[in-house]
Amino acid sequence: MEVRDQVRGCLLIAYRDLLRFWKFKHWLFSQIVMNLADVVIFALVFNNIVNRQYIPDYVKFMSTGVLAVSVFASSFSIAREVGAEIRREVVQYLLTLPTSRNAVIAGRIIGGTLRGLIYQTAFIALNLAVVGIPSPKQSVIILYTSFMLAAAMSALAIAITTSTRDFNLQATFRALTYYMLFFFSNVFYPREVLALRFPGALATIVTHTPISLAAEVYRWSFGYSEYINPTALYELTLWAFTLLVTASLLYRRNISGR
Amino acid sequence: MAAVKIVNFVKRFGEVTAVNNLNLEIYEGEIFGLLGPNGSGKSTTLLTIATVYKPTSGDIYVFEHSVSREGDTVRKFVGIAFQEPKAMWVDTPYELLLWHAMIVGYTSHEAKNVVKETMERLNLWEHRKKQFYQLSGGTRKKLEIAKVMIQRPRLAIFDEPTAQVDVITKHALWDVVREMRDNGSTVIVATNDMFEAEKICERIAIMYRGELRTLGSVKELKDQVPGGDVVEVSFEGDREEAKDALLKLDGIGRYMLGNDKIVAYLNKGEERAAEIVSALMSAGIKVKRIMVQEPTLDDVFFYFTGARLGEG
Repeated sequence: MEVRDQVRGCLLIAYRDLLRFWKFKHWLFSQIVMNLADVVIFALVFNNIVNRQYIPDYVKFMSTGVLAVSVFASSFSIAREVGAEIRREVVQYLLTLPTSRNAVIAGRIIGGTLRGLIYQTAFIALNLAVVGIPSPKQSVIILYTSFMLAAAMSALAIAITTSTRDFNLQATFRALTYYMLFFFSNVFYPREVLALRFPGALATIVTHTPISLAAEVYRWSFGYSEYINPTALYELTLWAFTLLVTASLLYRRNISGR
Repeated sequence: MAAVKIVNFVKRFGEVTAVNNLNLEIYEGEIFGLLGPNGSGKSTTLLTIATVYKPTSGDIYVFEHSVSREGDTVRKFVGIAFQEPKAMWVDTPYELLLWHAMIVGYTSHEAKNVVKETMERLNLWEHRKKQFYQLSGGTRKKLEIAKVMIQRPRLAIFDEPTAQVDVITKHALWDVVREMRDNGSTVIVATNDMFEAEKICERIAIMYRGELRTLGSVKELKDQVPGGDVVEVSFEGDREEAKDALLKLDGIGRYMLGNDKIVAYLNKGEERAAEIVSALMSAGIKVKRIMVQEPTLDDVFFYFTGARLGEG
């Protein structure tokens, strides 16, 4: 199959997922409201409670953290549809189309990635208004970070959800992964607070997960913090490629292994 | 060249053998019927031809390309209308078909034209904006057929194309199938409707419990059934005497006796009709009417599978 055909197939599959994205606009709206509520309720309420030595401005801290959560959550959302397509055997239709398996896999991951990036736009606007204006170089870094995080999370979510046809298991696996990644992150608390609460090794691990790394990059890029772990972008890239390759292989096995 | 060549094909799902050592060829340009009850292995075979499943052993060749090793190439030739239409509840028919047209190679402009034309042909246009869950079973089936019509593949597969559809639509869909063959496609129709198979298929394979039981044209299959002709005699007189007179004749296989009617299964029924009338009249039975019929495909199916009514 020619490369041109493969690219076309891949883009059309991603386009299909984007079209579907708009069909769930009410769900999307409620998700955005939930994420915004995180900022408004948590941040405004806790802003005067938290220790300012560790978190000088909790609103800005949470806004940048929620930016990481938003791309993560929306990229993860594609797994709901992929899971439903497995259960209803719609995936059989995709597997019979005149395109390669690689195009199907890449198309779905790109679809999930784009959904994540589109969803995140509202939260980028929020951060621009609340936290600060990034430089052109920082803007490119923000875009790169979002792209890597969205791609990795889409691939991971798709691989997890296609590992079983059982709805209950699909939902359980997705929720477990979601909450593991979400709670073991620095979205709510900075490294210093995590170090106080978690045993030494765990606190270190938590600050090196994909969500934490992305949040750290965002905090620096929007000007909330002056310090950034110099290897954060490299680590995030490594995470993204590892998750992308592993999840793509798992997804391929899950859909075509029968 | 064979459009499809199935060689020692076995497909297992865990402990269950869905298809066991299937061998057959489907010729280019024919309408081929895959006949069998639910669970006979038809859909598994079709889904393997369409590269959804991989053979457990053996292989299937589509226009000489292996489904195991050359799936990407095979998919260029194959279009399939699934038994259960494949779509999500939020999709609309127009969007589904438009996207399908583009993924099978049409430009956006061409896709709009061909989709409109196809939807109008199948009376789907009025349903174009409905969501999938709002469509009736028959409309969903037509949507599946429309996908294959738009694709115009070299190998068109229809899995139970007329299940759940009304009589008028059924005839329209049969026309579509014939038209596709006339336009150069090889067509495989899987069905458990004997009448449908007889109506549109040029050759038929009967599958039962994952195995091929017989293969041939409808006529060939009917001719293979011993005692295959059906002779129905209406009479006046004693039914036991009528039965005795009939059974004295050679070659009477099965028979069914009613109060004023006897149905006998035998070979060359037309040639032996006069002999039957004569035997009955000699026994003092007045023959009112005699009819000779060919066996139906139902008879062929029951003969080759050994299945019994009510075991489904």
